Amino acid sequence: MWRFLVGIAVLVDVLAAVRAEGPAVVPQPVRTILAETCLDCHSGDTAEAGVRLDREAIDWGDAAEVDLWRRVVEVIEDHRMPPSDAEPATQAARDTLVAFLDPPLVAHTPFGGTAPRRLSRDEYAATIRRLCQQPAFTLPVGFPPDTERHGFDNLAEGLVLSPAHLEAYAAVASVVADEIFPPPRPAPKLARWEAGPRDLVLSFSAATVHGDALRIASRSVDIMRSCTWPSRIEIRDSGTYTITVAASQFLSPTGHRFTGPMKLEVYARPLSATDRSRVSAFRLLRTIEIASESPASTSFEADLYEGETVLFRWVNAEMTHEYDELADQLEGWFRDDPRFLAAWQQAVFPSGNPGQAETSRLRGRNGWDIVARYWADPQLDLSEATMVSKKTRRLLEVCRSNSGTFEIADALCHFYHERGPALEIHRVVIEGPAQPVESPRDRARAAARRALVGERRDGQTDVDVARSMLTAFLPRAFRRPVTDGTVESFLTIATRHWDEGHSFDEGMHLLLRSVLVSPRFLYRGIEPPDAAGCCDQFDLATRLAYFLTQAPPDARLVDLATRGRLAEPGVLRAEAKRLLPKQPHEPMIRSFVGQWLDTKLLPGIMPDAKFRFDEEATALARRETERFFTEILQQNLPMKTFIDPDFTFSTIAFCQRNYGFTPSIAKNQASPLPAEELTRFQRLDIDRGGRYGGLLGQAAILMATANGVDTQPVIRGAWVLENILGMPSPPPPKNVPALTPDTQGAKTPRDLLAAHTREASCAVCHRRIDPVGFALENYDPVGRWRATWPGSGAAIDASGTLPDGTVIRSPMEFKAWLVANIDLFSNCVAEKLLTYATGRVPNYAEQREIKNIVRANREAGMGFQDLVLDLVGSRMFHAH
Amino acid sequence: MTRAPQLGALPLDRRQFLRAGATVIALPALEALAGPSTPAGGPRNFVAIGTYLGWHQHAFFPKQAGRDYELPPTLAPLAGLRDQFTVFSGLDHRAPNGHAAWNNFLCGMTPGSWSLDQRIADAIGQETRYPSIELTAGSGEGPQAMSFTRQGVGLPQIDRPSVLYKRLFASESDRARTDYLLASGVSALDVVLDDAKRLERSLPSRDRAKLDEYFESIRAVEKRMERQLAALDEPATTTTYKLPDYDPITPNLQIEAEGILYDLATLALESGQTRVITMFLHGLGQVFSLDGRQLVAGYHGLSHHGNDPVMIRDLIAIETAHVNCLARFLDQLARKKTPEGKTLLDDTIILLGTGMGDASRHSNANLPTLVAGGGFRHGSHVAVDPKEANAPLLGNLYITLMQRLGIEAGQFSNASRDMNEVFS
Repeated sequence: MWRFLVGIAVLVDVLAAVRAEGPAVVPQPVRTILAETCLDCHSGDTAEAGVRLDREAIDWGDAAEVDLWRRVVEVIEDHRMPPSDAEPATQAARDTLVAFLDPPLVAHTPFGGTAPRRLSRDEYAATIRRLCQQPAFTLPVGFPPDTERHGFDNLAEGLVLSPAHLEAYAAVASVVADEIFPPPRPAPKLARWEAGPRDLVLSFSAATVHGDALRIASRSVDIMRSCTWPSRIEIRDSGTYTITVAASQFLSPTGHRFTGPMKLEVYARPLSATDRSRVSAFRLLRTIEIASESPASTSFEADLYEGETVLFRWVNAEMTHEYDELADQLEGWFRDDPRFLAAWQQAVFPSGNPGQAETSRLRGRNGWDIVARYWADPQLDLSEATMVSKKTRRLLEVCRSNSGTFEIADALCHFYHERGPALEIHRVVIEGPAQPVESPRDRARAAARRALVGERRDGQTDVDVARSMLTAFLPRAFRRPVTDGTVESFLTIATRHWDEGHSFDEGMHLLLRSVLVSPRFLYRGIEPPDAAGCCDQFDLATRLAYFLTQAPPDARLVDLATRGRLAEPGVLRAEAKRLLPKQPHEPMIRSFVGQWLDTKLLPGIMPDAKFRFDEEATALARRETERFFTEILQQNLPMKTFIDPDFTFSTIAFCQRNYGFTPSIAKNQASPLPAEELTRFQRLDIDRGGRYGGLLGQAAILMATANGVDTQPVIRGAWVLENILGMPSPPPPKNVPALTPDTQGAKTPRDLLAAHTREASCAVCHRRIDPVGFALENYDPVGRWRATWPGSGAAIDASGTLPDGTVIRSPMEFKAWLVANIDLFSNCVAEKLLTYATGRVPNYAEQREIKNIVRANREAGMGFQDLVLDLVGSRMFHAH
Repeated sequence: MTRAPQLGALPLDRRQFLRAGATVIALPALEALAGPSTPAGGPRNFVAIGTYLGWHQHAFFPKQAGRDYELPPTLAPLAGLRDQFTVFSGLDHRAPNGHAAWNNFLCGMTPGSWSLDQRIADAIGQETRYPSIELTAGSGEGPQAMSFTRQGVGLPQIDRPSVLYKRLFASESDRARTDYLLASGVSALDVVLDDAKRLERSLPSRDRAKLDEYFESIRAVEKRMERQLAALDEPATTTTYKLPDYDPITPNLQIEAEGILYDLATLALESGQTRVITMFLHGLGQVFSLDGRQLVAGYHGLSHHGNDPVMIRDLIAIETAHVNCLARFLDQLARKKTPEGKTLLDDTIILLGTGMGDASRHSNANLPTLVAGGGFRHGSHVAVDPKEANAPLLGNLYITLMQRLGIEAGQFSNASRDMNEVFS
């Protein structure tokens, strides 16, 4: 706090001095340095890039001048100027220049300047959920996207409002109002639906039709692998229905034995639910026992809700799709029937080579037809049909892997469909409703309405109810207190509507719709700043809440703002600490990490098949980084932990497979670790200074900076400069063709990029970018270590010279350099955090202030959480 | 910079004002939006159909170029309409490969950019009740949009025939509800805007500019609402078409859904409610049996056929079923007459294609493409050799289609010339 006050005092002094002097004379020593280092190119009418630095005085009152000299300080500090083909400037000369320019630049760049911004997509959705009591609300498909600026989707300059947005807001408002004040519905009509085997869904190999029956065979929890449901029945009115199912057992002498009754589970599923659902997503209505091989009907009553149909699953089937269980079954089967084993060997390894499993053509019945043909073939080769042969071992591995199981199981289903045991469904009849019932959705609607409108008390008129609703709702919707005048003027929307003859609910419906398109709801930071240029208490509460929770302020923040106490340093810090995300899945982590480190790109990257990197691995990679960030934040660890930690979050299996090392806890185990332990996501100790660990060794970041197929040093280098070192590069000139990596040919990326350093105009940026990119070339597009470049096979040369002249030879040395210069990284993260929090890119003075905070943080031995809290406590966070 | 509209001064019944004003204020603006009118005799409608899984090339592309080609298996259902369509091979947008770039189909080289149908709708669809209608037969994971606005917003698709039916032939009560929601929303706006203007007056000028975006958007949305209200006042379009009492949205009913959606699309064009329709044919989890015959795998599984002949056979069977639906659609259009006396088929350009050239390899090169109707001189297979210098791009064909619709277009994505010569 004291530091902050002293800072203001100094600032005021400088301002006063500068104003008094008018244009400031450039002192002789500075002019000498400019003449020696800059003026060869930057003087006179022909000055390079139109930048003229031959001045005797500078008018600091001119915004264009401030901007020009700010850029001068920037390029001098990060060594972009003078260019590599010119005489280098001494450090003393650089220091003198900056010492002269810095104070007036700081003095003439006031903190703050965020324009009002509409809520971003994520903020809007979270706000609707909280404000309107709609926990399940998601944005409709086609809701307009946000525009990204400086890497974030929540910056004021990107959050433009277009007619498409307004239409989308109005449409959402209507949907929400329909939920809370539903329009009256016509009385339900009695209906009767009947479905035969051809009206039931055949999904993948779950079912096939045989005569007048449909057979199902698997008990998989994935409904598309095991279940069926009528495709032409969809309940319109929630109610109690009579459901009749005719079913039988199917057994045959060539199939497997089955004893006891078959248990058929009947669930209710929304017809529009994704077929990738698991059975646990649905409501179990009844379990029916099927004991006979001839069709028998069972009827029962059950509640079905609007939009639902029934779904059938044979829960005690022999067959399953779960891979270990399936592989165990097959293993037993193979042991008993070598011909069956040989047939599968032929089908899975058509080339005869156990290294080449080919399962994609085995999908569905085609697969079973192939296996069955071999099985029946008298010439079938049985030479490797033993349990110890390499082919058998490899076959069982395929069965146990998540790349081959589904194909094999989908083919195997047809064995059961053709020979049994299978469960047959002959007919489904649904009749009703006998009486209407309230669906869970109806109950949620009623609860939301109670929460918004409250109960009508005795003697309250419609106007009283609407007024009391508005008095509570408007301050929440607008995130600040409202005057009685505002309440009364919004109230006229309802009263006018009632006067025109509309019902109470219609008036309330219209009122809610109207509030939800008001700019006071849609925008934040829309109130003018106070006399000191700061946000008022309510804007501060809003800024803090959306920063840390991506949602509107909670009751406690509003209370503190109302009492005028939120801006007190101790209070604000305590509130920030309270709201800091605690869990990696909280919205702030996902949103900030996703945008800062580009892990949001991961779902769109499809690693080439050769990397054997599936969706699960991608999700795990993202989780590693999010969990890691959360740990450093929650445990308040030093900033260098981001770069060179002694722990990571992952699974042992992923470390072994992708990173190529075995974590210490898995070493020297007397017996092999169980599968659950290998795939358990956990904190793992690692050695500092190694290949992996830290942001730059994590798969998520190495993926996000590649394209799933190959790596490009320029892209990774520019990314690290911008997001780790805080030195964004200007966009490449338009007339330069992109360098495409020659993956087949003999040229290494280093040969290709050598062109960058030959041309001076390229070298200005590329001598900064390329070395950083090459330092990460040892990591392939999914973050695995590699020693040679693909294609040419040449050994990877990761060496290079960093902007400050340090020579590095490996990514490990690059990390060591970063740790030694950790403030560069901390400044960068702090700028990103402040950008994300305030909706604007920090200006020159703010960047200087950030550096002071970062340095003080490190010198005091504090951690990342302290840094975040210091930023929230800074005047930059308060500035409007 | 613009000023906020003077909406506070309006009479209390804003709806009355808007309707009365609509003919005076709105029409000139609409004409300006509509662009040049269709050249005399040119087609007025555009329909684009895209499959998610591409088309098996060997069964789609004729073996011979020119007019005397032998009809390939997938196109067999079109035998009776040979002089009503043209097949193209060798065209694409030079877009990246993979499922993620699928929507290059109508977007060109940059997936997600202003799609052909939306460019057309922006130029010629503004006077109709719906500037465009987006449909999908089957739904699932994968792309949720085939059409993209100029701003890059993917448009949601209608998968339930009952929803489309309601939009086209709304019952009295449905129309009354839509009318009520629009009109009441507009009538309440003045209170919201009064409040917003009070707020605006307290703001510094830079922040006021930001709020102007809001006021400008309100004005634009009001105009659209005026148009919708005006359309609602016109007599309801009625039809004798009978929908089934369920929506075919489950995986096994894709072909059934497709047929019904084509029927409704015909009615939408015939009744002039829209000029631009897109239809997406989804492919994940869709179609496991055809006419009671069970296929050896699902549609998506079949597309990864790995050159297995049985799987290819069933894949072609599904694709032929799609073309069969198309043939029925073209046939319906050919039987309907416009008020000017030409067939609805001559009045409608139909583009059938995909963003995926070969689903088995996830390649987006050499996109199977077919153009029907529109009064073009049809009947041939135009075989482009993409390796040839100056080889035309698919965008060249799109420029020709736009010009045929009366739109002055010289550029589409990476293409900058037309392909008019192939129809002359």
